[in-house]
Amino acid sequence: MRPFHYTRAGDVAEALRILSQDEGAALIAGGTDLVTLMRDGISGPSHLVDVNGLGLDEVRWLPGGGVRLGAMCRNAANDSRLRRAYPVLSEALRSGASPQIRNRASVGGNLLQQTRCTYFRLPEFACNRRNAGSGCSALQGDSHAQAIFGASSQCVAVHPSDFSVALQALDAVVLTEGTRGRRRIPVDQFFRLPGDTPQVTTELRRDELIVGVELPDSPFAARSHYVKFRERASYAFALVSAAVAVEVRSGTVRSARVALGGVAAKPWRSQAAEEALVGARLNEETIAAAGDAAARGAQPQRHNAYKVELVRRVVRQALSELG
Amino acid sequence: MAIGKAISRVEAGDKVTGAARYTEDVRVAETAHAVLLGSAISAGRVRGIDTRRAERAPGVLAVITHLNRPDFAAVPPTPYTAEGRMPLVDDRIHYAGQYIAVVVAETREQAEHAATLVVVDYHRTSPVPTLDAALSQAYIPRENGLARVPSEYRRGNAEAALAAAPVRVEEEYRTAALSHAPIEPSSTLAYWEGDRLTIYDSTQSVHMHRPLVAIAFGVPEDRVRMYCSLVGGGFGNKSYSWPHVFLAPMAARVVRRPVRVTISRKQVFTGTGHMAATVQTVRLGADQDGRLRALIHDSVNQTSFIDDRQETASAITPYVYAVPDLYARIRVTKVNTGTGGAMRTPGDSAGAFALESALDELAHRLGMDPLELRRRNHADVDPVSGRPWSGKQLLACYDQAAERFGWDRRNPEPGSARDGDDLIGYGMAGGQRTEHQRPAQATVDLTDDGTAVIRSSMVEIGGGGLTTLSQIAADGLGLPTAAVTFQHGDSALPAAAPTFGSMTSGSTGSAVKLAAADALRAAIDLAVGDRRSPLHGADPDDVVAHEGGLRLRDRPGDGESYRALLRRNRINTLRGDGDFQPEGEDAEHAMATFGVHFTEVRINRYLPRVRVVRHVAAFSIGRVLNAKTARNQAQGGIIMRLGAALMENQRPDPVSGRFISPALTDYHVPVNADIGEIDVIFVEEPDTNANPLGARGLGEICAVGICASVANAVHHATGKRVRSLPITPDKLL
Ligand SMILES: Cc1cc2nc3c(=O)[nH]c(=O)nc-3n(C[C@H](O)[C@H](O)[C@H](O)COP(=O)(O)OP(=O)(O)OC[C@H]3O[C@@H](n4cnc5c(N)ncnc54)[C@H](O)[C@@H]3O)c2cc1C
Repeated sequence: MRPFHYTRAGDVAEALRILSQDEGAALIAGGTDLVTLMRDGISGPSHLVDVNGLGLDEVRWLPGGGVRLGAMCRNAANDSRLRRAYPVLSEALRSGASPQIRNRASVGGNLLQQTRCTYFRLPEFACNRRNAGSGCSALQGDSHAQAIFGASSQCVAVHPSDFSVALQALDAVVLTEGTRGRRRIPVDQFFRLPGDTPQVTTELRRDELIVGVELPDSPFAARSHYVKFRERASYAFALVSAAVAVEVRSGTVRSARVALGGVAAKPWRSQAAEEALVGARLNEETIAAAGDAAARGAQPQRHNAYKVELVRRVVRQALSELG
Repeated sequence: MAIGKAISRVEAGDKVTGAARYTEDVRVAETAHAVLLGSAISAGRVRGIDTRRAERAPGVLAVITHLNRPDFAAVPPTPYTAEGRMPLVDDRIHYAGQYIAVVVAETREQAEHAATLVVVDYHRTSPVPTLDAALSQAYIPRENGLARVPSEYRRGNAEAALAAAPVRVEEEYRTAALSHAPIEPSSTLAYWEGDRLTIYDSTQSVHMHRPLVAIAFGVPEDRVRMYCSLVGGGFGNKSYSWPHVFLAPMAARVVRRPVRVTISRKQVFTGTGHMAATVQTVRLGADQDGRLRALIHDSVNQTSFIDDRQETASAITPYVYAVPDLYARIRVTKVNTGTGGAMRTPGDSAGAFALESALDELAHRLGMDPLELRRRNHADVDPVSGRPWSGKQLLACYDQAAERFGWDRRNPEPGSARDGDDLIGYGMAGGQRTEHQRPAQATVDLTDDGTAVIRSSMVEIGGGGLTTLSQIAADGLGLPTAAVTFQHGDSALPAAAPTFGSMTSGSTGSAVKLAAADALRAAIDLAVGDRRSPLHGADPDDVVAHEGGLRLRDRPGDGESYRALLRRNRINTLRGDGDFQPEGEDAEHAMATFGVHFTEVRINRYLPRVRVVRHVAAFSIGRVLNAKTARNQAQGGIIMRLGAALMENQRPDPVSGRFISPALTDYHVPVNADIGEIDVIFVEEPDTNANPLGARGLGEICAVGICASVANAVHHATGKRVRSLPITPDKLL
């Protein structure tokens, strides 16, 4: 670990000022990811700006519908109204990490957690995401955990967050504040695919921070569900997960969202699966078609063809359990 | 009687309150901290190493590399010196993570920081990354890594018998490289006073490791004092002295201060060994009625370019079933990985996966109950030596565990049992472990306050030895267990057997029993010769220990307390000596421990992750010393192997061979939610052929056979035969 300065920011403006003045500054929230990265020599900020004193930890219901979660709300957030209005969100949060980590981890940190790609996390390997232009050891390496959608010849890593997959299915918006003002960035645009610049993982600018996420009131949110499939019963990242939300009226699906975790560098929205649902009755046949559609276009690597079949099954399971 | 009682561990209170002192908790004034820099490549040389910036970093006391290190006096012997190459001796790199520099600083953080400033210029050569890449180069080790076990064994003509057998099974099985993954990363604290070395080390045996350090530094053994009070999990990785153990005293010499090395969590995966991956083939030939005619078990494991270390997967095979014609072989092949080490249960766990899976395949082919197949091939005597077994209760284990499990409810048809979307499978497998014993010494001091003190260098690894051995002394002297204390984990004490190889109960336990008997004899002699004692003039053979003192066997009223006896004679302590010497090769009986496992798995047919909902095991280990610590130990061993069955995997990078899951986030072990009901049965029978105590080891037999039992249950549930561990969901889709 490198030596670093530490400031506990008193307000957003102070945090932003340090970020814009100091190239090497980084925010620290729960520290559950950043500290590991620093210890492992993956991240070496010269200045840590602690955002735990900023407040930003409210769950605020909006008068016109929808809700705002402050960036410092913990992943342990267990609000009964939230659970009713956005079941997929609570389920996704609960499926992540362990109770101890959820008590510490924040909403903002969860979105910005780094990939678990082992080639990224071990500094001995070349990694374009960690060190632009150095190469990608994962391409010739063990790819069992890598992406099957949206990868590039520069990077095949996946985004590990469960919470973000739920946000994707809920059309959530990331709220940011920077020295140049505030922005509202839809989740789908917030995360970037690797392309030729895998080192840039989100739309967030250097001098910006996340102040919260906003979940709109939507006709499908209340009937939503998260299924996470992993190697052990608990305390593991997803092999593949699915967040589904469906609005059914008079027996017909009016609108739907299907988002996948563990398959791409961002929470992966499957419009094909959504199209297979909309206008149809939510029966076994439709569900199977949606599962198949979700898997279409997948490009597995050498060791992860199993994920393609898992996508089918996880989507089916999630939709079937919706009832 | 204290022996056999289900009492909690004597150190439990200390452990749950944080008072227990592990090696890392030891504090010595002026201690400097060393961090070990690991190689970024897995094969090649260090062409240049620039330490100048690191040396100038705050707090740095020294940076030691192959260029400026002091010489070792000699290379201590393997296998308990884990690597046959001493650290930093030259510029060659044999595996990723191999230590290439030691950075010593005032604080650990300073040393960690300075280590990042060392610039290494590597000369890379192309590595052999995996077992598969090296398989065609497999060979029988020139120099046998584990002297006890021959690399080849033959009886009869297995090839001919196999060819002639009416029913055959010939399959290949694979086990993954595993990490011991103990909670406690190994730690060594060393300081010199002249040529006297004091060393606190996370070791499973102070007496086996002290001489290694003495040889390496060229000092007489009695100049080295090694301590280890408690080990925070070892499972075999602390039964060897790994390179850091030698680097701590070296660094302490260089900086002339106490130096502590605690390896990092990542280094636990590369610096203290692993269970090597194996590829095994099993060929079985049998009659139509299931009698085995031929058995060939061939195993290859990866080893390092430094050592030929066998994972002795087929070593137990000749001893398990009554097969007339048998051939077993163990080969190794070189991979750019660290040297493997013994891990619970060395050889037998991996071997049983192959052998017991193959038997299940045979049973299936014969249309026979797999339990019945094993009964038909029961070895009534040791098939290797022809000697009778010392206390083999395997058939009773079969009966009791099968009944408890409800094995007779099993419909043999794979895929026949369902519950909603769950496929249900029942599987079973057997296990056997050769019983090892070593000399062990202990003393038991009877004190004038009526308590007793055991002195023996035993290390408590979490298995409960402090408790069970206290129970033994308590029984020997007629004291409550609470009146016995235990001085342990110090090489100045009488030498215990190491806390590995399941030797604590049998060997060190026997030494304690002998010592307690000796102390009792001294007390009796004192009493019968003492005019003022109510026992004066009695025949010593008529005097027994009872409730804190002595009394006549036939006249319970006549007697006195130890306290009264010793105080009156102004004796502070009466010492009893115990020296246990195992019988060795010419013993009349063959000694082993035996077990059987029954497993129920449930597998969702859409999202197939194997859930072990129920596991019943029965063991034949002679006498059980403490029902609670024994059950605990057995459940732990079973859970450990459920991990190997279902998820544990030290994945090598296919290009460099570096293990790519060196963190508990990635190297999955079972969590609570993965564990179903585990029921353990002990079929007891004091086994005094084995040793005076009648107890054999439990710590290892409890971890043999589980993987096959799970795999067999998976086959029963799904019809799929998974021959490669771990059985992860991708293999069941
Ligand atoms: C063992 C383990 C298991 C886990 N399992 C799961 C799992 O199953 N599912 C899952 O989804 N996650 C899992 N996680 C990840 C966990 O959810 C994240 O580590 C956590 O959410 C990060 O939040 P934090 O507040 O601790 O972030 P930190 O570690 O403090 O920060 C992470 C990153 O976010 C940045 N950051 C933090 N807050 C802000 C802000 N307000 N604005 C801008 N940038 C910010 C930091 O600069 C840093 O780059 C696991 C983590 C661990 C250690």
